Order: sequence, then structure tokens, then C-alpha cells
Amino acid sequence: MKSLDPRVVRLPLTGKAGQINPKVPYDQFGTFEVFVQSKEGKLFQHEGIVHAPDLELAYVLAKETFTRRFTCNSLYVAETRNVFVSLLTEGNINVYDLIESAHSSQAKVPYEIYHLPKRGKQHIYAGSVMAGSPEEAMSEAKEKLNQGKVIYNVWAIAADQIRFTTPEDQELWITLPEKKYRDAAEYKGGDKLNDFLNSKN
Amino acid sequence: MYGGGNTFESIKTDSVAQEDPILLAAFEARIARGEKIEPTDWMPQLYRKQLIRMIEQHGHSEIIGALPEGTWITRAPGFKRKMSLMAKVQDEVGHAQLLYSAAETLGKSREQMIDDLITGKSKYSNIFNYPTFTWADCCFISWLVDAGAIVNQLANAKGSYGPYCRALDRICAEESFHLKYGHHCVIYLASGTPKQRNMFQEALNRWWPPMMHFFGPSDKISTHTEILMKWKVKMGTNDDMRNQFLDMYVPKIWELGFIIPDPNLKKNEATGRWNYTEPDWEEFKRVINGEGPCNKERLEVRRIAEERGKWVRDALKSTQSNYVMPLA
Repeated sequence: MKSLDPRVVRLPLTGKAGQINPKVPYDQFGTFEVFVQSKEGKLFQHEGIVHAPDLELAYVLAKETFTRRFTCNSLYVAETRNVFVSLLTEGNINVYDLIESAHSSQAKVPYEIYHLPKRGKQHIYAGSVMAGSPEEAMSEAKEKLNQGKVIYNVWAIAADQIRFTTPEDQELWITLPEKKYRDAAEYKGGDKLNDFLNSKN
Repeated sequence: MYGGGNTFESIKTDSVAQEDPILLAAFEARIARGEKIEPTDWMPQLYRKQLIRMIEQHGHSEIIGALPEGTWITRAPGFKRKMSLMAKVQDEVGHAQLLYSAAETLGKSREQMIDDLITGKSKYSNIFNYPTFTWADCCFISWLVDAGAIVNQLANAKGSYGPYCRALDRICAEESFHLKYGHHCVIYLASGTPKQRNMFQEALNRWWPPMMHFFGPSDKISTHTEILMKWKVKMGTNDDMRNQFLDMYVPKIWELGFIIPDPNLKKNEATGRWNYTEPDWEEFKRVINGEGPCNKERLEVRRIAEERGKWVRDALKSTQSNYVMPLA
């Protein structure tokens, strides 16, 4: 291939230009929801998704995608299908008013509960409950975490389905301050610009 | 990095008449109140289609946009610049991930989007079909193409589709790094040797016409977009965006003593609008349709990467995880 870039010129030619074997949609990777705590003491917040073949790789990709530039204290990922989702309401309808009580005879495990307090924004961590099923987790959340304020949507994720951050993982973010090139404040062009402007006058 | 209105395709609004009038009215009222539309909310077919097209093109622009800059990583002047540029290019690819995810919530699979990019069915920002001859071309992109992208993206972030707006908020925050980095690079060239100054002046001469194309065809010739404006899919006309860019960056370019290659470029203080030589829209159309200097190379690089990465994707494929549409 003709190019200014020698690495492009060296690319081995494979297949035919403009043609690709169509990929089978959705046969590749699962989707994983990513939750980030930007600073110690701040609430976890839903940030987005990654595609990955498993939970561990999802964690690695989430670090790359969501914590490259901004501060991060902790993050976790859970497979999308393991996030139990309530209805999405609007206006002044508190979704908790639509959630029915549920009980489960299964052994109780911790569930992480997320609230959507403002439509159009991200889901924010609300607290943990113990429950035997996602339905029971919703019902428990209604009892313990519903403060009467309008919540538009609730998510419940069983803690054992989550890949949490370990202390060793956190080292990645600790090194961030040394990576000056990642810090916008490091690009101080102002002095140089002023010198230049003054030299012209 | 993305230019907003980079296609000439006219939209067919016939389908809107087929929509349920009650649902449509509620949908429009929600947007008029300034609320966001979420993936599970009802939406007209045309809204879905246009958003998929727009978000997907934006995603492709990030992926392809990484190529003309990525080529300079190994030749960037000094270790710091190499690290900065590498981080910036990684950001751009990350932006594509965020955007593809947002488009997925509307029902198009990522695999299909990537196939459509490679076969040329989907477009990407036209400006990346031009070559980066020197380091100064790379600096032009980092500073001014990113600046143009921010103008578009800040506007689109106020749009109506929740997942797209949230992705754009993240993207804009990261782009502001790029802008500072790019400006830093250009200040160094401007205050350097005559050879360095000249190098940037030449890059400016080369990139100014595509930069004027970046915001899409003039309002005089572009297809009407009232319904997309009403639905807050499009947040400003192409000329509005272009004018805003000129307003913010022409003074900064002049300040550094560079000459913008357009003798008619002048702000009309009475109207607040910039006058300029009408960009060559025939050239723009030609490049979009595949005749630009780098169209073939860009898509080939992408296609070969996809072919060569196939074994990795196959090796990672697992029955453990299943695709589920992203939640938000």
C-alpha cells in the first residue's frame, strides 16, 4: 500500500480492499456495566459499558476506558445481564411506589443498590441490602433506602457477581500523579506565549 | 473529534406521519421540557435512525481520526511529546468505545457498525482523509481539529438522547486536554526557529480548506433539518458551528503571527458573523465519496487491522458471557 507511513507500507496485504466477511452480530462478547468511585468517600457512579469475554478482562478494559484521565479510587464491573432493573418512571412518580414486596426462601446474599435520582444523569450508589433474590433486593431497598424522594429507576446487583477492586489494583491509580503528560495543568503554554508576544512588540 | 454535518444525504420525513400521534406528542413534549430520552423510552423511527447514523459516524471519526496522528507517535519530537501524543491517540480510540456503546443502546450491533465502516457504507469525518506530511500537520489536528470537534460536541452534549449526551460529557472533558496540548505544541513551533514557524504556516495552508469543510456544507445548500433541530438531534446549523469556531480560534491563530490562507476572512462586527471565501463544496463531496488523498489508505489500515485481529477475537470468544443491550 502507498502511504507516507512506512509502517502502513509494510502491512501484510490480507483479503480484498473494501471487503470483509460480515461478522455475526452479538456473537462476540458480553457487555459489562462499569461503576467508578472517583475519590475516596465519594459514591460509586455508573459510567458506561465495556465489551469483554469475561469479568476479569472486563475489569481491565474498564480501567483503560474509564480511568485513564480522571482520578479514580475504585471501580467495579458486573455483567449487564446480572443487573436487575426496575421500570423507568417519569414526572413525580417514585419508582419505589411501583415495587411490590417480595420474599425469598433462598439464602440471603448482599446486593448493591443503585438509584437514578435525576433522569438523563447517571445511576448512583444508594446502599447495600441482604436478599435471597433480585426481587427481594428491590423490596428490601424499598424499605431501607427509599427516603420518599423521587427515584426514577433502581438497579440491584448481587455482590458475588461483581468484580471489585483489590488493594493491588489500586496501585495503578496511585501512580497517576507522576504521569504529568496526562495532566492538563502541565501544558503551560501561557508563559511561552507571552514571551513570544512581548518579543514581537 | 468530529464534524457535525458531513453528509449530503437528505432525510425522508414521511415515516413521521405513520407514528402514533399521542406517543409522538408526548415524546416531543418531553424534549421541549429539556428532558432526555432514554433507551427504554418510546421514540420515532426517524429519531432512532438519525441518531444511530450520527453517533456511529462520530465513533468512526474517532477511530479513523487516530490514524493521521498515530502515524506521528514514533516521530514526535522528544519523549514528552511522544507520551502525550500516545495518550491522546488512546483517548480517541476510547471515545469510539463510548460512542459505539451509546449507538448500541439504539439497537445497532457493534459488529455491524465496524463492518459498515470497512465496506464504506458508513461515513466518518471528512478531514481525516488528508495526509499529515509533517509534525506541524499533526499539531494542527491536535489543536484546531480538536477545537472544531469541541465546538460540535459541546453543542451536541445538550441534545436529547441521554446515552449520547453522557458519552459526550466525558469526551469533551478529555478533548480539553487535547486542546491544551495542541495549543502548547503550536506555541512552541510559533516561537521557535524560522524553519519551525514556516513548517506550521505550511500546515495551516494545507489544512485550512478541510477545516472549513469540517462543519459540513453551508446552510444555503444543506438539506433542511428543522425536525432534527426540534428533536434536539442537531443542535445548531453547520454555519453556526463554523462561525463559532472562527470566532474562538481565528484570533488565537493571528496572535501567533500566522497567515490564514483566505484573503476574504474578516469578521463583520455589525452582524457578528465571519465573512470568508465559500469553501469548495464540490471538492468536499468528491472526498466524501472516496476520492480524497487518503480515503483508501484509512479504510485499508482499518480493514487489515480487523482481519489480523480476528484470531485474537476468536481465541477470546467465550460461552460464559452473552451480549445484552447496554442499560444506559
